[in-house]
Amino acid sequence: MRKYLLMTMSFSLFMGCSLIEEVKPWEKETLAKPTMQFAGLHPEVNKFESHIYYSKEASKGGSGVAGGGCGCN
Amino acid sequence: MQLKNFNSISKITAIAIVASNALYAENYVAVEFLQYDENNNRVSVSAPSLSASYDIGTDYTIKADFVHDAVSGATPSWQPDSSSGASSRDNSGDYIYEKQTFDEARNAGSIMLTTRFENRDELYTGIDYSRESDFDSKAVSAEYMHYTDKSHNQSINFGVSYGMNEILSYDYDTGSGASQKETSTSINIQAGISQIINNHSLLKVEGFTILDDGYLTNPHANIVRDYGTATQNLITENRPDKRTAYGVNLKYISMFGDNLSFKTNYRFYTDDWDVTSHTLDNDIYYSLNKKITLGAGFRIYTQSEANFYNKKKDFFTDEKFASSDERLSQFDALTYKASIDFKQNDSISYNLGGEFYSQSTGLDATMFTAGMKYRF
Repeated sequence: MRKYLLMTMSFSLFMGCSLIEEVKPWEKETLAKPTMQFAGLHPEVNKFESHIYYSKEASKGGSGVAGGGCGCN
Repeated sequence: MQLKNFNSISKITAIAIVASNALYAENYVAVEFLQYDENNNRVSVSAPSLSASYDIGTDYTIKADFVHDAVSGATPSWQPDSSSGASSRDNSGDYIYEKQTFDEARNAGSIMLTTRFENRDELYTGIDYSRESDFDSKAVSAEYMHYTDKSHNQSINFGVSYGMNEILSYDYDTGSGASQKETSTSINIQAGISQIINNHSLLKVEGFTILDDGYLTNPHANIVRDYGTATQNLITENRPDKRTAYGVNLKYISMFGDNLSFKTNYRFYTDDWDVTSHTLDNDIYYSLNKKITLGAGFRIYTQSEANFYNKKKDFFTDEKFASSDERLSQFDALTYKASIDFKQNDSISYNLGGEFYSQSTGLDATMFTAGMKYRF
């Protein structure tokens, strides 16, 4: 599974880093779409997901510094 | 011609707000409902939430949210085996790893203020609060995002939060059941860089560290000590009172054509309890038309076990730290996701989502969400 994870990560990084272009403000229409936000299309749903993973798994973090604790873990 | 210029300027203004990793600025009120159910009648959670975001001029945005969790069900732990005649935690009988029932309610809320400066750098400041019958948490956080170039194609961010927790533990071990207030703190530090790759893809890399200190034990989880001897007994687990974790998070989003976007997120995590995990989370969104967007995704997770974990009944003797909590074991997990988003008009949209989560420990769970957002 780790091998698969590393391969997928490397592929994604290759796609992203192969060419960085200067993008002017008026060329950012696509980047402004809701589906292009790091927080996802529905940040409220992401919050639910994060809370469930936090309560069922032993690792946490990486999704921002905001957020409180929970007695579920 | 003038109209065309006006449209372009409006578009640029809107886009500038969301460029790089800035928040997607809009005024809205959203309600979302979660129903989460585990297999074998384990935990069920019903959670309605309310969130709102409001722009104060162009320099400030305030966002608040509130959620109420009603949790019921059972979670597995070592308990006296009544079929063996045992009725207490001492050596009068045998022990069994089975579900212990509980009911809990949690109310949690947060407020975040985004401040934008003249150079459009952003400062996020927030407070979080969470309350259960036996757990209180308060946290403050601040994060600064600085654009490193004139076109706002690259930004760096640095954030820190400080959380204080109060935990009510019960003295099950002596049988008195007396409660005692314990405390713990958590410091979360995160720094990263966001880069616009081209006009249809973004990359973000972040490193983080989390420093937990204090009472980190689960007061409701038990272990068996000295099994098979005259002194065997069932006692509350004991975890180290410090935990230092490090991790890296890589996020990449790209749009293919006009309608298909792909988002991938890889997280590496490791801590001094010997828990190391890898998480790969992927989502795709496909816009059927201007009103309907379909989503699908999968998440792969794997973790190693904590160095003080063991589920066996006859394992622990005089170890200082010991836990049989399955969440600290080695396991893999998969999540499958599907969603549909319906935009009724520019103001109102609805969303429905379903997820199936499966752990190699035998835990399976379903999660359904339904929500509505009103923009103004």
